[in-house]
Amino acid sequence: MVELRSTGKPRAAVRTWTSFMTDFSIIGKPIAMVDAAEKTTGAGKYTDDLSLPGMLIGKILHSPHPHARIKRIDTSRAQKLNDVIAVVVGADAPNPYGILPVGHDEHALAIDKVRYIGDNLACVVAVSEATAEAALELVEVEYEILPAYFDPEESMKAESNLIHDNKPHNLEKDYHHTFGDPDKGFAQSDYVTESRYLANEVTHAAMEPHSTLASFDIDSQTGQAGRLTVWSSTQVPYYLQHKLSLVLDMPMSQIRVIKPLVGGGFGGKSEVIPLEIIAAVAARKAKAPVKITYTREEVFWAHRGRPRTIIDLKTGVKNDGRITAVKARVVQDGGAYCSYGVVTILYSGALLGALYDIPNIHYDGYRVLTNKPACGAMRGHGTVNVRFAFESQLDEIAGRLQIDPAEIRRRNLLKPPCITVNGLRVQSYGLPECIDKIVERSGWKSRKGKMPKSRGLGIACSHYVSGAANSIIRSDMPHSTVNIKIDRDGGVVVYTGASEIGQGSDTMTAQVAAETLGCALSRIKIVAADTDLTPIDIGSYSSRVTFMAGNATMRAAQEVKKQIASAAAKKMNCAPEDLVFRDDSVFKQSTDHVGAGLRPAQEEQNSASVSGRVEGQILRGSLQQKRKDEGPKDSMSFEEAVVATIDFHGALTGTGSYAPPLEARGGKHKGGGVGPSPAYSYSAQVAEVSVDEDTGEVTVHKVWAAHDCGRALNPVSVEGQIIGSVWMGMGQALTEEMVWKDGLLMNPGLLEYRSPSSVESPEIEPIIVESIDPEGPFGAKECSEGSLAATIPAIANAIYDAVGIRLRESPFTPERVLAALRAKKNAKTLDMTEGVDPTAPVRLREHGGALWFKGKGPERHELDPARRTEGG
Amino acid sequence: MKKQLIELRVNGRPRELAVEPSKLLLETLRQDLQLTGSKRGCDDSSCGACTVLIDGVPMLSCTLLAASCEGQEITTVEGVSEHGALAAIQKAYGDWGGAQCGFCTPGFMMTVKHLLATTANPSEAEIREALSSNLCRCTGYSQMYQAIKAAIEAEQKGMDSLSQQVAK
Amino acid sequence: MSLADFKLLRPRTLDEAISLLAPQAGEGARATRVIAGGTDLIPSMRQKLFEPEYVLDIRQIAELKGIRETEQGTEIGALTTLSCIERSSVLKQHYPVLVEAAKTVASPVIRNMATLGGNICLDTRCLWYNQSLTWRKSCGFCIKKDGDLCHVAAGGKKCWAAFSGDTPAALLCLEAEIELAGPQGTRRLPLNDFYTGEGDSYRRLQLNELLTRIILPKATADLSGTYRKLRIRGSIDYPLAGVAITLKCLNGHIESGRIALTAVNPAPVLVKKASEVLQGKRLDEELAELVGDLAAKTAKPLTTSALTPEYRREMIRVFTKRALLALAN
Repeated sequence: MVELRSTGKPRAAVRTWTSFMTDFSIIGKPIAMVDAAEKTTGAGKYTDDLSLPGMLIGKILHSPHPHARIKRIDTSRAQKLNDVIAVVVGADAPNPYGILPVGHDEHALAIDKVRYIGDNLACVVAVSEATAEAALELVEVEYEILPAYFDPEESMKAESNLIHDNKPHNLEKDYHHTFGDPDKGFAQSDYVTESRYLANEVTHAAMEPHSTLASFDIDSQTGQAGRLTVWSSTQVPYYLQHKLSLVLDMPMSQIRVIKPLVGGGFGGKSEVIPLEIIAAVAARKAKAPVKITYTREEVFWAHRGRPRTIIDLKTGVKNDGRITAVKARVVQDGGAYCSYGVVTILYSGALLGALYDIPNIHYDGYRVLTNKPACGAMRGHGTVNVRFAFESQLDEIAGRLQIDPAEIRRRNLLKPPCITVNGLRVQSYGLPECIDKIVERSGWKSRKGKMPKSRGLGIACSHYVSGAANSIIRSDMPHSTVNIKIDRDGGVVVYTGASEIGQGSDTMTAQVAAETLGCALSRIKIVAADTDLTPIDIGSYSSRVTFMAGNATMRAAQEVKKQIASAAAKKMNCAPEDLVFRDDSVFKQSTDHVGAGLRPAQEEQNSASVSGRVEGQILRGSLQQKRKDEGPKDSMSFEEAVVATIDFHGALTGTGSYAPPLEARGGKHKGGGVGPSPAYSYSAQVAEVSVDEDTGEVTVHKVWAAHDCGRALNPVSVEGQIIGSVWMGMGQALTEEMVWKDGLLMNPGLLEYRSPSSVESPEIEPIIVESIDPEGPFGAKECSEGSLAATIPAIANAIYDAVGIRLRESPFTPERVLAALRAKKNAKTLDMTEGVDPTAPVRLREHGGALWFKGKGPERHELDPARRTEGG
Repeated sequence: MKKQLIELRVNGRPRELAVEPSKLLLETLRQDLQLTGSKRGCDDSSCGACTVLIDGVPMLSCTLLAASCEGQEITTVEGVSEHGALAAIQKAYGDWGGAQCGFCTPGFMMTVKHLLATTANPSEAEIREALSSNLCRCTGYSQMYQAIKAAIEAEQKGMDSLSQQVAK
Repeated sequence: MSLADFKLLRPRTLDEAISLLAPQAGEGARATRVIAGGTDLIPSMRQKLFEPEYVLDIRQIAELKGIRETEQGTEIGALTTLSCIERSSVLKQHYPVLVEAAKTVASPVIRNMATLGGNICLDTRCLWYNQSLTWRKSCGFCIKKDGDLCHVAAGGKKCWAAFSGDTPAALLCLEAEIELAGPQGTRRLPLNDFYTGEGDSYRRLQLNELLTRIILPKATADLSGTYRKLRIRGSIDYPLAGVAITLKCLNGHIESGRIALTAVNPAPVLVKKASEVLQGKRLDEELAELVGDLAAKTAKPLTTSALTPEYRREMIRVFTKRALLALAN
């Protein structure tokens, strides 16, 4: 592995990337996103910005109970309200669905039961939001209250009143994996340590609340409602099309899903969210276009965030720091529906592998149902909370063995190419360089251990998949397909199903297509994520887009390039292989590149060569030119070459697709399909923090984050993704937490959920490491998720370095920190934790509530566990 | 409730509208004037995605009644770009990764426009303070600081070349 | 979340405002609400905490804006925005504690809208109250709105919602007075008497009255002072605890000192004993510790917001001690 370049931190307003010249003209350049102007001018349209003539507004009635049977639902009073057009209930769309084939446990609107506060009961469609809201108050529902479960370990004991009848003990799924010989591994170790870690629940809080607009066409033949078009804020338009087809009993061919601009996803829009189905069902019943946009509170109920996770972790090491065995028991508080849960619990185990060389692993994973909103996929899906535990424990071990925490990580490196004990294939592996870089940039060697009082440094590593090697729907279909059409105008239209959600999908596609074709970026027009126009792509999740859609784009471009080359070669009287495509022209390899019209880099990116001068029309004065035209040419403009090709072939289109190679698809064990990826990204981070020992407040001063992204296709975007991941990890580490009281979310708003503001957000120095993956497009891997997981333990380890307390529960709020500091000093204890020592959380907190939360709250059912706890 | 006729000045143009007294400025901009650049990101006046300038001062359009804004000059993100081209700050946000998903960007455009109008050479601390009214979930804010510095530089260069032209 | 319908009244003068308010004050949940900056009222109306028949928009009343120095001290119009207060050179010079407190309120954009009068009149806050109608229905209504029980203090009949304005703590230290105007004319009272200490009926303002002016007496000008606020984020957040302190020192001894707390009780409160204890003393670590303990005893936080009551009370102690020592130096 060779680190080709790193971008450094551009302090001044002058780009420093230009010092890294590569063989590429567009790849590796820090270009503005192709949709940047739409976003900075406000001209770009997100779903809620759209409206149609005659459009109605839908509002959803939510359950006030965490678990109840619906005895009766009467919508007649609501229906009678002026300007109410329709009221939709569960019976209007009884087919079940769910994102995973094994988890079809949701309905658009509840049929027999509600399973969390916020579950969907009915939808009122009216001419205005105010009318719809007023009508919601008139829907009468009679409930039979059922005992509810809020704590996963309590929930697992349930014998009756199950959340789903077909899930005994409210256990969504459990897995028990043994790789190697863990018992032997622990027996061979010199030192074993074991602790419980607790990561509280967090959510995506993307700035755009979910929104869906659904509209039916009238069919010309039948005169009846025909095709359905849905505009939605989704990361997965094709999955949405599939689920709509299931629930509405319509063929997929009759459903068109269009993804407008999406205001952030982070996993929260990576599955079908109830409003997306409800809007379509409502439009069918109301016989008019219907738009539903969630309130922020509804976004919190829709959730699908990172579950509260309890991790019992045991690690055995030799005296030299080499890991001999790892045992993990992971319990996830999954909420009321399956969602991506089965995948989450598998990732938590699988991604114990592929970062370090661990010869023996035992994993017990439990995904448990509780009466709270469903958890799902969130940035760093499945790996984040376990990585927090693992990297914290490794730090502790390093301290115990008196090995430098950076060094202990180096001693456990993989030796790729290799296949890990749990069946993950690792090829490119930039982790060693990542560690070297952050050690160097942070001044680790000279500063660690010599920091001022209450200030410390912590290190941690993480990794992530570049797309899942196996699709959630088992099939042999390609994961991404891209079509390219080039017409006589020289315009290149790329049709991709990949979903731009702010991460730069469209820009990546344009860069890969332009680089492959050697044409100007301005020739590229992206048509994306419209199921009528674009070929299937399974969506923007698990960091798969650059690797998979990027490869598909490259292949499609190569196919059209081949056709252009064969036509151009005829004109130039040479073999197609002798042609070079670059800088918007096609020329013979032997030709002096500069003579062939290479323009300064800036111009070459932005402008296509002059249009309108096609073959046969070029009449220039100079003799030299004339002579050149008469004989075989040495070069042609891209446009000339295109016209020559179309004259020859009649049309110029190409298709490329990508499916992960068989070798990368993982082991054969049950659940072995989750975790394998064609390539893994790597991250190493150092965090510098200080702790106020009187208040427990933690300040993060700086994070150095090195990330191996294979190759940085667009360094400014890669750095943005690294910074964003680290920053989101910092939020989970310090301030963000969903606080529950008896299944009621206490902070369902951005005022109380507290994602960090600019004031307390630290400087984050992104360091790009390029390992050039053998299978990635131009060597690229993922860069949007892998860095998140390292931040939480890096901060935890830095806190330990600063003040000597080991925090095993996230987030590290001031009171948790202060309580731990007091406990350490044996000072006046502060009962802020309901008697539970935060340094050693040996049992779960009362019914899943955050430890700080001591309000008594509502009394519910006599069987409510919360009530039993109070009585006892 | 019966609608009332009001007259708003938006992006330099008078607009006559009939709105309910309870209608918020944000809803009026988005629904009645189709100025959908201003966004609704929260319901508790905490996210800043709806920020507009009222007489040049950034305020939350989700927290103002439309009818209360009569007689005041309202500037939305749609009024930021100049003569069909991006303003320096818009260009810089694109170049430096200041916008990812872009949903919070219109709000930031307005607070940054105000910052640049009122503070000649803001320090990093002043920039952080000015941005602290708006939440962003993608960028961690870092690349915005670079964008703002670049925009200031670009504007100063533009001024320099302008004054040179004048001198000639 | 749309706002319930109401009729909007937009007076241009104070007299007009009073004459509009008096006959249409209404009562209970339908009582007329006064809107100035709107940063507290509008989100609450979204949550259907208020469904007034009339909303009185006083933004246009020019006579209620601005800062004036008078014989008696400094007068601040109730409609003066917190941004104006932050920037006021008069206040920076003579009443720095108020400027410091104003600067910590919410975020810069909110301070462009929010007014000093609004910060004084701010509704008390509680996690069980500041929630949507759907949420409150699900939970069961509380004493402060539509219900008869308190979720914070089980079995309690008193509302413990916390007063969460920052500036009133500073104003209490400055012995500020406020002027209220009603159909019978104006009345003045010390700010301290404005608050009841009850979470639900937290202020002594008649339905037909308006807060018009805040008067800072000459006597408290030029005191050294500081404000410390407990918050989780560096911006946007309401205070979870706040301490304001003013001191007058002569030759290293304290002539007078005042300490006020906010966000830990249903009203902003003066730590009464602190003034006695501080008077005539030289400030040292021990005294600061003692006064910190007094402040912590005055704080009665309950589970009305994020962070445990114990932690918030402890921070009152820490902040008081630290702020005193910082002022002494």
